[in-house]
Amino acid sequence: MRVVVRTVSELCITAGTLIVLFVVYVLFWTGVRADGAMNHQIDVLHDQWAKRTAHPTATAAPGASAAPEEPAPYTHGKPFAIMYIPRLGFTWNKPVLEGTAVSVLKKGLGHYEGTAQLGQRGNFSVAGHRRTYGDPFKDFPRLRPGDAVVLTDGTTWFTYRIDKGPYKTVPTDVEVINPVPRKSGYTRAGRYLTLTTCDPEWGHSHRLIVWAHLDSTQPVDTGKPAALRR
Amino acid sequence: MYGVTLVPWCDGRDGMYGWIWRHLPGNVWVRALISLVLALAVVYVLFQYVFPWAEPLLPFNDVTVDNQ
Repeated sequence: MRVVVRTVSELCITAGTLIVLFVVYVLFWTGVRADGAMNHQIDVLHDQWAKRTAHPTATAAPGASAAPEEPAPYTHGKPFAIMYIPRLGFTWNKPVLEGTAVSVLKKGLGHYEGTAQLGQRGNFSVAGHRRTYGDPFKDFPRLRPGDAVVLTDGTTWFTYRIDKGPYKTVPTDVEVINPVPRKSGYTRAGRYLTLTTCDPEWGHSHRLIVWAHLDSTQPVDTGKPAALRR
Repeated sequence: MYGVTLVPWCDGRDGMYGWIWRHLPGNVWVRALISLVLALAVVYVLFQYVFPWAEPLLPFNDVTVDNQ
């Protein structure tokens, strides 16, 4: 009898310690790791862009300046842009990586493969964690129509304006990232942006969506767009 | 001095942690130090290997609309 009681109590203490450690891991440690990983991705991008401006080779094709060329395809798991959303905080900026695999979303926001590229016609769609891994989209429900979502790929600033959202839907509703998203209110093809995250905050039963349209673009040489100035 | 017994932990007098404690060498301070190192090693393995495996089984990773 004593053996049973002692064994059960030791197992309870062990399990309790494990659970506490796991909660610390999920709430705290994933954030620490993700912040480091996101900062690293942003550093990688700045390095790339610094090299590209130092050696402007392939981009300067003679006579091709009139038509904006199709950007090179993104590489899975690699960062290609930085996103700024002033509503989520003046210093809020996150790298955007290609792909929405679990391993990619640990390092930043994930661009849905197969959706439009940044600034191109179609629907540039991005997913991000609401909670854990740095909580990038923790304040997602505070987004409102008219808010700016600014992205840069190192050569151009893209300012999108939110038109609708946050819109709550179910995980199987893949039409929200269509080129002309269903329920978004858009009727014609255009240059759109979709952000998705999970809802409720700690759950996975629903998704929160916002839609935006491309409002303006400007070269990085001309400085930050108005939405990022204070 | 506590003798090292050959009794398995489940039949002993003081449970599995007591069994481990009795099998550590040295005096109280050395044992405490080894225990601390062992505990840190367990935490490291958990954080580095076990929890990263277990965490995707929870719902916080489902942020996309297409992967089921």
